[in-house]
Amino acid sequence: MHRRPLPLREDEQEDVEALERSIQARYARSSHTEYDEETTDVEQQALLPSVRDPKLWMVKCAIGHERETAVCLMQKCIDKGSELQIRSVIALDHLKNYIYIEADKEAHVREAVKGLRTIFAAKIMLVPIRETTDVLSVESKAVDLSRDTWVRMKIGTYKGDLAQVVDVDNVRQRVTVKLIPRIDLQALANKLEGREVAKKKAFVPPPRFMNVDEARELHIRVERRRNSITGDYFENIGGLLFKDGFLYKTVSMKSISAQNIKPTFDELEKFRTPSNDGEGEMVGLSTLFANRKKNHFLKGDAVIVVKGDLKNLKGWVEKVEEENVYIRPEMKGLPKTLAVNEKELCKYFEPGNHVKVVSGTKEGATGMVVKVEQHVLIILSDTTKEHIRVFADDVVESSEVTTGVTKIGDYELHDLVLLDNNSFGVIIRVESEAFQVLKGVPERPEVSLVKLREIKCKLDKKFNVQDRYRNPVSVKDVVRILEGHCKGKQGPVEHIYKGVLFVYDRHHLEHAGFICVKADSCCIVGGSRSNGNRNGDSFSRFGSFKTPPRVPPSPRRFARGGPPFDSNGRHRGGRGGHDALIGTTVKIRQGPFKGYRGRVVDIKGQSVRVELESQMKVVTVDRNFISDNVVISTPTRDTSRYGMGSETPMHPSRTPLHSYMTPVRDPGATPIHDGMRTPMHDRAWNPYAPMSPPRNNWEEGNPASWGTSPQYQPGSPPSRAYEAPTPGSGWASTPGGNYSEAGTPRDSNLAYANAPSPYMPSTPSGQPMTPSSGSYIPGTPGGQPMTPGTGGLDIMSPVIGADNEGPWFMSDILVNVHKSGGETLGIIQEVLQDGSCKVGLGSNGSGDTIIVMPSEMEIVPPRKSDKIKIMGGSLRGVTGKLIGVDGTDGIVRIDDSLDVKILDLVMLAKLP
Amino acid sequence: MFFHIVLERNMQLHPRHFGRNLRENLVSKLMKDVEGTCSGRHGFVVAITGIENVGKGLIRDGTGFVTFPVKYQCVVFRPFKGEILEAAVTMVNKMGFFAEAGPVQIFVSNHVKIQKDSEVRLKIIGTRVDATEIFCIGTIKDDFLGVINDPTTA
Repeated sequence: MHRRPLPLREDEQEDVEALERSIQARYARSSHTEYDEETTDVEQQALLPSVRDPKLWMVKCAIGHERETAVCLMQKCIDKGSELQIRSVIALDHLKNYIYIEADKEAHVREAVKGLRTIFAAKIMLVPIRETTDVLSVESKAVDLSRDTWVRMKIGTYKGDLAQVVDVDNVRQRVTVKLIPRIDLQALANKLEGREVAKKKAFVPPPRFMNVDEARELHIRVERRRNSITGDYFENIGGLLFKDGFLYKTVSMKSISAQNIKPTFDELEKFRTPSNDGEGEMVGLSTLFANRKKNHFLKGDAVIVVKGDLKNLKGWVEKVEEENVYIRPEMKGLPKTLAVNEKELCKYFEPGNHVKVVSGTKEGATGMVVKVEQHVLIILSDTTKEHIRVFADDVVESSEVTTGVTKIGDYELHDLVLLDNNSFGVIIRVESEAFQVLKGVPERPEVSLVKLREIKCKLDKKFNVQDRYRNPVSVKDVVRILEGHCKGKQGPVEHIYKGVLFVYDRHHLEHAGFICVKADSCCIVGGSRSNGNRNGDSFSRFGSFKTPPRVPPSPRRFARGGPPFDSNGRHRGGRGGHDALIGTTVKIRQGPFKGYRGRVVDIKGQSVRVELESQMKVVTVDRNFISDNVVISTPTRDTSRYGMGSETPMHPSRTPLHSYMTPVRDPGATPIHDGMRTPMHDRAWNPYAPMSPPRNNWEEGNPASWGTSPQYQPGSPPSRAYEAPTPGSGWASTPGGNYSEAGTPRDSNLAYANAPSPYMPSTPSGQPMTPSSGSYIPGTPGGQPMTPGTGGLDIMSPVIGADNEGPWFMSDILVNVHKSGGETLGIIQEVLQDGSCKVGLGSNGSGDTIIVMPSEMEIVPPRKSDKIKIMGGSLRGVTGKLIGVDGTDGIVRIDDSLDVKILDLVMLAKLP
Repeated sequence: MFFHIVLERNMQLHPRHFGRNLRENLVSKLMKDVEGTCSGRHGFVVAITGIENVGKGLIRDGTGFVTFPVKYQCVVFRPFKGEILEAAVTMVNKMGFFAEAGPVQIFVSNHVKIQKDSEVRLKIIGTRVDATEIFCIGTIKDDFLGVINDPTTA
């Protein structure tokens, strides 16, 4: 600074104007030179644009005319001088369609661009101050293109293809690359012979090595020429140069991308194929290495030197320092540690190492190294037992056993899934974005690649089917395949669906060990794991003591649409309608519970009460709305519990034992777990189970004693006593399900049928267990007196009256009477003691008065805004108005209190 | 390699087994439960040779089951890396073959002409030990290794 004033003094003589000019000039210059000397960060910061500086505006212009527009504006500026209030115009080579204009105000920009036809001034965008510097900063892309670098083509037919740099001409910015040609020889021949060629090719020919002989066959002239510079021979076909089947192409540096190229294994393999000398591979390695992540090597890694004097020296990594890796060589007589450049090292594995793939396409997989081919490892995958080829660089030694990526979304390897077209299959492999699914086609193994969105849902329901010999097969049972392409194979059943088994045989190497077979072409080996089977067996043993229709030998068939009415009303006992459907598992096809599965608890005319499997609640659905074919899948245990439940209250208690005795067969689950789970499950559903005393004589196979013996009947005091203290049974308070299942079989029991009247107090054993029936009305608020004869009911009455659900018929309600084939409306006038009702026919009850059995009539379900009467629960007898329906719940406004209550629709009856 | 070791296990017994034969029941259940299983730590339990000690049983709430801590001697088989085994070839495919030495499955890669059901002597070069399974890979590329009994020539 101090030197600067000097020339000023020399110019003292000059006139003031000149002085002023020189000062200005100097001032301006000095401010520049000062910064040049030492630019610190702070000074740089000070240069950044602020709010006071002119702004940068982004203006859209015609594509390809960016530079031209900038020059035009410059010319305009020269012509018009200071009139144009913009400061500068910037056209960037890499930014098409836009130019930047520096100005203080948008209006200035608009003014400046007015009249330029290349500019579409409609849209002028302000560049945020923070980003203005980025517009002008130049990214230094130090593209280090050298021979043998892997690059990818950016444009043209070869877009995205991998190429190898053969020669670089930095002056002309051109690169010669080696490509796998994508040439349609036929089209080429046509073109050369001057025939018509379709201008726009519909497809890109697949990459294929050029075969000179093939070309000659198509009469394409192939010239063999020697390149004067390199001395190599090239085949010249139609102006294209080929060597060893590769296409050698000289392209502009801009049309290739050299950054972040990660050749896949397959691509490299292809490049390696024709010239199968090891050199090419090692060269390929160098590119791979260049793409290695930081901290690629870790202390303790086993490495091998792949380049230089120390080639093939093995060692262990001691320390990593930037580029250099210090290794402890394996060989004696060498210094303790050697510094080796990272690029000369490669990870080293030995056969037998257990490794995990940490990058690349196979990322996540683990397996054991079975073979090492230089830097390529062959791994036997833990999951698929298949070979995987990976680069040594992509793996690390690990004892972890993962199955690789085993999950996409909700679907996991080995899941049974339902596909789009209603076919189903097991996921046998998870790929990067799709699953391989072994379809459920037993005839032949059919594998398809399925995208995530093509999967509808996972099927994880447990089904049971029957094998060839009608033995029940459930999941985890070991079966042997008796026919088909996999005859003789044997393994546990993993999935069951629609009568098709998916068997897992570890010796079966295809399809991840899964075999798809029909259930009836298998036979079960050994006993069944499913605890219900024992019961099933005992069934057949004691079959003679039972009435036949207990166990559905085949899916139930009944005339859908019309409720199967029994002509003998009395026989139907206290239950609204006991037909074959009760106790079976059904699926609800329509209505708010569509798709749910459940057990039929009760049938009332057209409606069926179903205990939902998933929701622990009983809902009423129209009989037409259920499908009964699910019955095949009814777990045997359920069925049998039905059939035998009441006679053998302790029967299910055996269940835990059995499952307990066969845990070894299940490879996955520890036996304790299984054992623990089962009894709890059972207890929840059957209060008798855990508390019942062991009865040895049962096992001795003396069924005669229990088949008819009254002391084991559920209503008898001993079993009642067991029921009461059931611990932890959440169902004890909601006995609807329990009671009914206990009581069910009695209805069809021979002994029962022989009883002169099912309602006789002398058979209390049957009675108390059927509270959900509408046939007798304990605790009716209508003032039904308890007759002494029904003393057996007394214990139960308060319970039922208080909080048991179950619609009982009451007076004044509207009912549908099915009598003598027809169906008529009626109004209950009086409920008689035996459960039958005096019904006045007609919609207002004014018609004839008849006596109707409860089974012959059904409540008319109320609709919205109907007047209703509540038939169960604590509000029994109260009337109200149905103001809304929510699923199976009705929203009711009580007449007296105007309270709004939510009640089960089943409990509501329509009033006339 | 085979080992004779003492292991311990908590056995749950159903009340119906109580009585004079409790101990027998317990032992037979133990055998059923344990023999043939595989633990990653000890390998395959081949056979139970004796009971060391049966501890005091503890009645479990709710179920009436009784848990006994049982110490038992057993023979276990656990393959090790470097071990030489004789195994029967169970399956051959294009990648190699699978052989079985008792309960252990061994995979041998890139072999030359090995037939199913032949017996081979092999060396284990790697083991993978899961909680419930042991899997090995082996090699027959070493001195004195290879086919020792070919079903076709015999």
